[in-house]
Parts: sequence; structure tokens; C-alpha cells
Amino acid sequence: MRQPEPVPSPIGAYARKIDGRERIAGRAQFVADLTVPRMAHAKFVRSPHPHARIVAIHLDAALALPGVFGACIGEELPKRYGVIPVAQDETALALGKVRYIGEPVVCIAAVDEETAHRACAAVRVDYEVLPPVLTIEDALDASKPVIHDYARKPSNVLRRVHQAYGNVDAGFAAAEVVIEEEYVYPGSTHAALESHAALAQVEPDGKLTLWSSTQNPHYVHRDVARVLGLREQDVRLIKPAVGAGYGGKCDPFCTDICSAYLARKLGRPVRIVLEREEVFYAHRGRHPTRLWLKMGFSAAGDITAIDFKAWADGGAYASYGVVTSYYLGVFMTLPYRVENYRFESHRLYTNKPPCGPKRGHGAIQPRFALEAHLDKAAARLGLDPAELRRRNCIEPNTETCNGLRVTSVGIRECIDAVVKASGYETRRGTLGPGRGLGLAASAYMCGALHPVYQNEMPHSAVQVKIDRSGEVVVSAGTADIGQGSNHMLAGLVAAELGLHPEDIRVIEGDTSLTPVDLGSYSSRVTFMAGNAALAGVRPLRAKIVEAVAAKLGCAPEEVRFGLAGHPERGDGPRVGTETSDVSWVDAVWLAEERFGPLIHAGGYTPPKIGSRFRRQSVGPSPAYSFTAQVAEVAVDEETGEVRVEKVWVAHDCGRVLNLAIVEGQIEGCVYMGVGEAVSEEQAYDKGLIRAPSLLEYKVPTIHECPEIVVFPVESHDPEGPLGAKEAGEGPQLSTVPAIANAIHDATGLWLNDPPFTPEKVLRALDRRRRSGGR
Amino acid sequence: MLPLPRFDFADPTDLAELVRLAGEPGARLVSGGTDLLPSMKHRLFAPTRLVSTMRVPELRQVEPLPEGGLSLGAAVTLREVAAMPVVQRDYPALAKAARTVATPTIQAMGTIGGNVMLDTRCRYYNQPAGWRVALGGCLKCEGPVCHVAPKGKGCYAAHSADTVPVMMLLDVSVVFATAHGERHVPIRELYGVDGRTWLQVPGGSVLVRLEVPPPGAPIAYRKLRARGAIDYPQLLTAVQHIHDTWRCVVSAVGPAPLRLEATSPPELVEAAMAEVQPLTTHLASPAWRKKLVRVELARAMAELGIG
Repeated sequence: MRQPEPVPSPIGAYARKIDGRERIAGRAQFVADLTVPRMAHAKFVRSPHPHARIVAIHLDAALALPGVFGACIGEELPKRYGVIPVAQDETALALGKVRYIGEPVVCIAAVDEETAHRACAAVRVDYEVLPPVLTIEDALDASKPVIHDYARKPSNVLRRVHQAYGNVDAGFAAAEVVIEEEYVYPGSTHAALESHAALAQVEPDGKLTLWSSTQNPHYVHRDVARVLGLREQDVRLIKPAVGAGYGGKCDPFCTDICSAYLARKLGRPVRIVLEREEVFYAHRGRHPTRLWLKMGFSAAGDITAIDFKAWADGGAYASYGVVTSYYLGVFMTLPYRVENYRFESHRLYTNKPPCGPKRGHGAIQPRFALEAHLDKAAARLGLDPAELRRRNCIEPNTETCNGLRVTSVGIRECIDAVVKASGYETRRGTLGPGRGLGLAASAYMCGALHPVYQNEMPHSAVQVKIDRSGEVVVSAGTADIGQGSNHMLAGLVAAELGLHPEDIRVIEGDTSLTPVDLGSYSSRVTFMAGNAALAGVRPLRAKIVEAVAAKLGCAPEEVRFGLAGHPERGDGPRVGTETSDVSWVDAVWLAEERFGPLIHAGGYTPPKIGSRFRRQSVGPSPAYSFTAQVAEVAVDEETGEVRVEKVWVAHDCGRVLNLAIVEGQIEGCVYMGVGEAVSEEQAYDKGLIRAPSLLEYKVPTIHECPEIVVFPVESHDPEGPLGAKEAGEGPQLSTVPAIANAIHDATGLWLNDPPFTPEKVLRALDRRRRSGGR
Repeated sequence: MLPLPRFDFADPTDLAELVRLAGEPGARLVSGGTDLLPSMKHRLFAPTRLVSTMRVPELRQVEPLPEGGLSLGAAVTLREVAAMPVVQRDYPALAKAARTVATPTIQAMGTIGGNVMLDTRCRYYNQPAGWRVALGGCLKCEGPVCHVAPKGKGCYAAHSADTVPVMMLLDVSVVFATAHGERHVPIRELYGVDGRTWLQVPGGSVLVRLEVPPPGAPIAYRKLRARGAIDYPQLLTAVQHIHDTWRCVVSAVGPAPLRLEATSPPELVEAAMAEVQPLTTHLASPAWRKKLVRVELARAMAELGIG
């Protein structure tokens, strides 16, 4: 191809994702698209009870049906698993007891899905029904039955965390205004369009290949091997295209373990694709959380102390719940200065589908309370809410009272950008009844300093191979789930070599072909795998520089990449100086001749940041992102309907690597926040989920999605890849409180319990009308 | 994916053959299938044969009626109805109602006849089979009690056809073909008071066409739904003012749409507030939906410039 112009740097450009077109065109291959010869289809028999002992399982009628190949039950897979080593309490199929309605009990493989479905209906399970534990109050009540009754210390409290920093009592004593309130944040689920799915096949050599729709190939790989009693090296886990996760595909699932087990047991490949109803049972969504928050403020608006308690209703299994119990409290010291902070959290077991990580994991609920609290404080103190926030903002390069080392901070720029663009300071309070503006800000992490299982190895590794054909292959254990990690890797490598991102081939998420990456969770991938990619490509770039300099007889520092090609030869980008150069392929030849094969793997290990606090092992991150947003809402005072009309959102992502992806991620966060604010709730009646379908579980449609105006803020993190930080989760944290604060501006109502559905809002309006309010 | 149960399929091109096949045991008519097939996936019923209406010419026909008005074939799609110049000109409320059904893709598949024959809906009924087992069964399908009214004897599943309230105010006549000839039923007499037997037509009847009388007074139509697309109605209201009479139809609150008349707008609203009793058939609470009856009727009347 002709290349008359130098290759522009892809960094910061608004660029189409390298793998975007195949998805738009329907060519990307998801697990449900994969078929292999002799493949069986499996389905689950699920529990109709929230809490019951399994007395007997009768499989005969099901196994006798023509087309049924076989089944498995919990006793065949007794090893308890879970990504967090201290809380491995899960089995793929219920073992002895069922703990929520919808829990898998039997898995049956058959010639097709319809036969498997009929076979499941033919299974009879005898249960001894137990009283269920369904609420936070139940779980804290010692007289209720214990859900995990095999444990050494039987209790429905998975984890209690208590931390205190500074002198909280003195902080309150010094306060001019103290505000204390309760908030209730609802459960919600991810609603990724692709359901969980897995395909397992025993290869001719006897080893197992598992294709899984997962965010975390590495953790699933480890757990599947362990539960099946295989060596990890004999299991190959491949993550094909994944139709989003949002945290919902971070755990190993019954699909992974049962397809792998049945493939070995039956001697034929087995594919399992969950139905939408089953995705609601797999869940791992937002913990319904009760929050109690007390904050002290000086007359000038400085935060003098925070005292905070949270009770998280975690459902029947631990999942990432231990981590949740920390995330509920850790980020409350950001982005505002606070010297005196105390928090206590409980992560509880109940007889409902397990909660886990959902976008903004654990930090969404307390952020809602804190940001609503700040507006209440501003009202009490007669301060502008933006000014109250600004005066409390932390500065770059600080350490918080709970020991978080903070490097780059762009929070002031974020607040300024959205306040200015929305006209917040002049328009708030003036839009008339039923219309209002609300502001909120937040901070989030860029990956965890510590891995979920203890080890000193790199968190990310990326191998770069440059072939004498000129092809650049980047191999990484990362999991692109639609968020754009493939493009991120390609863009960084392309920028170093003067190539286009489309010129880079990315091979990802294959435990046999790609080096380990811990996975797509905790907003870690850009920061960690991005740094690993740079560490992988830079030594190869140096070799090419040296070889080209030797050939051209110039100094190495004179060598440039991505020079314009020669139009008459129609070749691609070139390497060299202003006066002489070689083609990209020749440059690679020169380097390979001089140095041998051009293959290098780079790794990223987070810095060892000592904390004053020994217990603070969950929460610290190498860097933090910051967000501020203003929402404009219209409230219909006759129907109670809240319409979020526009959101201005500024996010400090360190450095924009691809503007299209950054904007898309931020818009996605706001969209998801709007759903949690106005319509989404994973609710249950006596343990039975109310809305197990995308018809009745109300994610917003395009009609409910506001206009979203994005302002990227670049704080150039000193440790981020080219200065970049995360953009995929943090922006959701402040959406719901911005909307709540806007509803207050519109109606005068403080609503402490999202979602702000029409009936809830109308009830609050009616209550106020009855009591003589406006 | 949730698999469909197994069934045979027939798509006759001849009306007599369609009527014959529809009368066979285990047969069920299908047009667009947008409501029927999801319900079959939920195992709400399991016909052994689906008989398609879509290739029978009489059911695809649209023509003026000799004495004025319009004959709409049952298998004309909702999108076609909404796009017809004659419908947009003479029956704009019907065009609007057709455009509120679900989504554009479903309007392209779903038919006007299918909407008239739409199954009643309930939060306990329209659920997957395993969910209903955990519930203890739904009265309309397999269970001993109705979870909406556990002490009652009836089924309260709600009429949810978006286009029907307008057609009731238009006094549409529904024409069925049976083995014994044609049968005309006024649409306002088509629906019964129990959610299980909401259609007052003998089995084996095939809806052939809808005869819409010549246009009369304007109709205001409103659909209340949780979101601006996709959703079934939480409340449907259609209002018309003819001389000294104010008429309305309120639907999605019980097995049959309620048709009310009064001599003034306030009386009409009060009549509706007295008659309409939303139940827990929807996730939105009955109390809120009841309050919205007044709001929606007032807004519909405002659209007509009355009230």
C-alpha cells in the first residue's frame, strides 16, 4: 500500500478498534458460535427452593430418554472452589444442600438443547426444605440457620472489616455540622448481552481444551484444573470473543466446570450456553447494601471526620465478597482530604444468587451515600456544592489517612470542566419545579497492588514477536471483553514501532499460547498489561534502532520510525533518518541478522508500596482515576417519572490512548449508572427473583439514555503506560449521586434509596404534598 | 438459548385449508410469532402443530369496505398498518398504537390480527417453566392458585394488546372464518372477564379480517410503559368525545379492556377511578397504576383539547 505520509501516532487519536468491524458485521466468534464434531449440549436442573437439603436425586427417567448421553451431580465434583483463596465455598453443582432458587443441581448432556431440556424436566429431586435466610437482618440474626453449615466457625457473616484512622471522635467534636443518615442501595446485575457459555473438548493427546466466555482466563484455568484434579498444564483455556462482562464473568461458572467434566466423563465435546434466566441466577452483581454514614464538617466546609458502616447482602456464595467488604470502605478517603476515618463493613450470606463484582465493585454504594451527604452538608452550611468539593480535593502526590499512595490527580480539572460546561453555578436552583442539576465526584483504582492469590510474579506479561515478514504479533493473556484491550495493546506497540494499530496482530486469552495476565477486573488492564506491552516492545525497538543505525552509518538517536514511504515504490512505513532510510521489513531483517529472533516478553509487577497499615492489603492501587459529573434531570411531578436528560462527565484517565474507546467506556459507565439510578433492581420475593428476563429487568433503552458529553482529563500518571490510567469503571461511581442530587434540585426531595422509579418518586412527592410542602 | 419445544409446522395458502388445519387437535395459529414463540419457550403451552396465517391471501388483504371504512387482513403486519396512508389519514390513533408495540423489529413481524388475539399477561404467568415451579405454579398455566389473588377463584392476567383500545372506540368488527362459515363479532364483545378464557370465540375460529367503520370523532391514545420501547403496557387509555358523550377504554388492568361512557370529562374520570382496579399482575404497584389512571386520562383528554 502507498504510504506517502509519515505514520501518525495512534496515541490520543479517535480510532476504530482493530477488532471492531468483525463485531459490528457479526463475524466475531463467540462460544455459542463454536461447534466441534460429536458435540453434546448440556443443561442444568436447578433448585426450586432457596434453602433445602438434597435427600435424593432420581436420574433414571432422564437418562432413559433417547438422545441423552449422561449426567453429573454435585458428589462427582466435591472440591470447593472460588477465585479468592480464603473463601472457596462454591461447587459447580449443589453438594448436599441448595442455597438459592436457581442453583444448579444436575447437569445433563444430550444430542441437542431441546433433548437436554426435556431430560432436565424428567429429573426428580427430593428436598428437605429448610427455613431461608433472605435479608440483611436475617443474616445478622444468630438464631437463623447457617447457610454454610460445614464451616469451622458457622456464621452467615462471610467477613467483617473494621478499620480506623486518625481520631474520629475528635474530628466530630471539632465539627460545626454533623450529618448522619442511612441509605439503602439496591442489587443490580450486569445484563451483558452474551450469556455465560463454555465448550470443552478432550484433545487426541488426552489433554483438555476449554473455550470459555470469561473475563479472567487465568483464574478460571486454575480453578477448573483444581476441581477436575488435572495438572494446570494439561488444561488449555481459550477465551474467544466475549460479549461483555462488566464483572459478571470474573468467576469460574458451572458452565466451565460441568462442560469440562462431562467432556471427560462422556468422551465427547460438551457445550453449555446459559439461557437468559440462568444468567440472572449466575448473577455476581451489585450487592444490595445498607449504609450508615456520619460526616463532620467545619463551618468553612472542611471534612473533619467520616464514620461509616455498611452491610452487604452477598447471596449464597462468597465469590469476590471478601474483596467487596474492603472496597466498600477503602475509597472513601478519595478524592477528598480526610484525616479521621473509621469504617466497618459486613459481607453477609443469604439464600439468593451470589453477588460479586459489578462495574465499580463495592465502591458504587458508599460513593452514592458520600456524594449525597456532601450536597446535604453544602445546603446546611450555605455553600455551593461544587465549592465544598473543590475545597476538600486532595492534591497530587499525597498519601491518604488510610495509607493509599496517590500519584497523579486531576479531580479539580474534572470538577471545573463539568461545572463550566453545564452552567452548574448559575443554572442550579433556577430551572424551575421539576427540573434540576446535580453534581458528584469520585475516584477509583487502576488495578490492585496485590494479586488474589499470594505470589511475587508479574501481574501482566506481554510477548512481542517481530517476524522477518514484517508482521508484529503481540501475545497476551488479557481478556478483551469488548472494552478494547486488544486495541490498547496494538496501539501502544504500534506507536513504538511507527506502525498502524491494524498492522499489529494481537493473540490474547489463550493459556497455552499467551503469557499470564491476571484478567479484566479492577480496572487493571490498561495500566498493567499496557506497561507490560511497552516493556515487551522497547528492547526489540532498541535492537532495530541499533541495526538500522549500523547499516545507515548514523547515530542510534537519529533513527526514527514511521517515516513516509516512497510513493513510487508504494511501500509502507520506513525506518531511518531525514536523509536515508530502509523499509520496515528491511529494518526487521537487519535486526534479526544482527541479534537473532526478535522475540521479547515484558512484564509488569506493581511497585512495592509500603503502607503504614499492615491490614490494608485490599484497595491500594498503583494509581487512581478521578471523575466528576453533572446530571440534568426532569421530574414529572404527576407521574413521578425521572428523565435524565443530559450528563456532562469529566474523567481523569491519565492520558487518552484511543479517544473513541475512552469516550465509549465513559458513556457506558454513565448509561449503566442511569439504569441503576432510575430503573434497574435485582429484587426477590421470598428468594424468587422478580424479573429473570431482559423484558422485565429494566435496563435503559436508547429512549432513557441521556445525551452524554465527555471531557477527558489528562493528568499524565508517572507510572501509567505513556501516562494512562483506567477509564472503564471509575466514571460510573458518581452517576447515581449526581442524579440524586439533581432530583433534589428539581423537587427538594432527598431520596436515599435508588432506583428512583416513578412510583417511589411519586410516593415521596405525595408524602410531601400531604405534609404541606410545595 | 431457551429451546423451543418440538412441533410441526404448516403454512397453507388457502383459507379453507387454514380453517381445517386450525381445527385439528393440538393445532395453534401463528402469525408473526413474536408473542407465541417466547411463550412456547416458557412452556406455557405446547401445540403439536403451528399453522401459519401468513401465506393466505385473504388474510393479507387491505381494501375499502363498500359502505365506507376499511377492511384490514388479520396477517397485515403492525408496521404495514402504521405506514398505510389511509390509516394515517383516517385512523391516526390506530397508526400510533401500532407504533407503540414493542420495537420496530417486532412491529415488522407482529400482525394486527395477532395483536387482537394476544394472550393475556401476568408477572407470574409469563415466566420460564423452572421459575414457575419455584413459584408453585400459576393458575392460568398449571397451578392451583392465582398469585395475584390467592383467595379468589379467577385469573386476572391483563389484556395487553396495544391496538385494541383504539379499535374498541372505532367499533371494529372482527371477522372469523369457521368450518361453518363466517362469524362477525364486535370487538367490544370479544373479551371475557377471566384471564384464562379471555377470548370469547370457539376454538378453531380463524381471524380473517378486521372491519373498521368509517372514521368518526378523533381518538386520543396513550400507552404507559416502563421504557420508551420494548415494554408491554402498564396502562392503556383511549379517549373519544362524540357530541354529548365522552367515551374511553382503559386496558392492561384486567383480562378485558374496560369501556366507559359519561356525559362530562370529570364524570368519565371518576367512573374510571371507580371501575378500574389494577392488581399485582405487573411489577409496577397497583397503587401507582391506579393513580396514573387519572393522570393518563387527563392527558389523553388534553390531547383532544377537552377536559
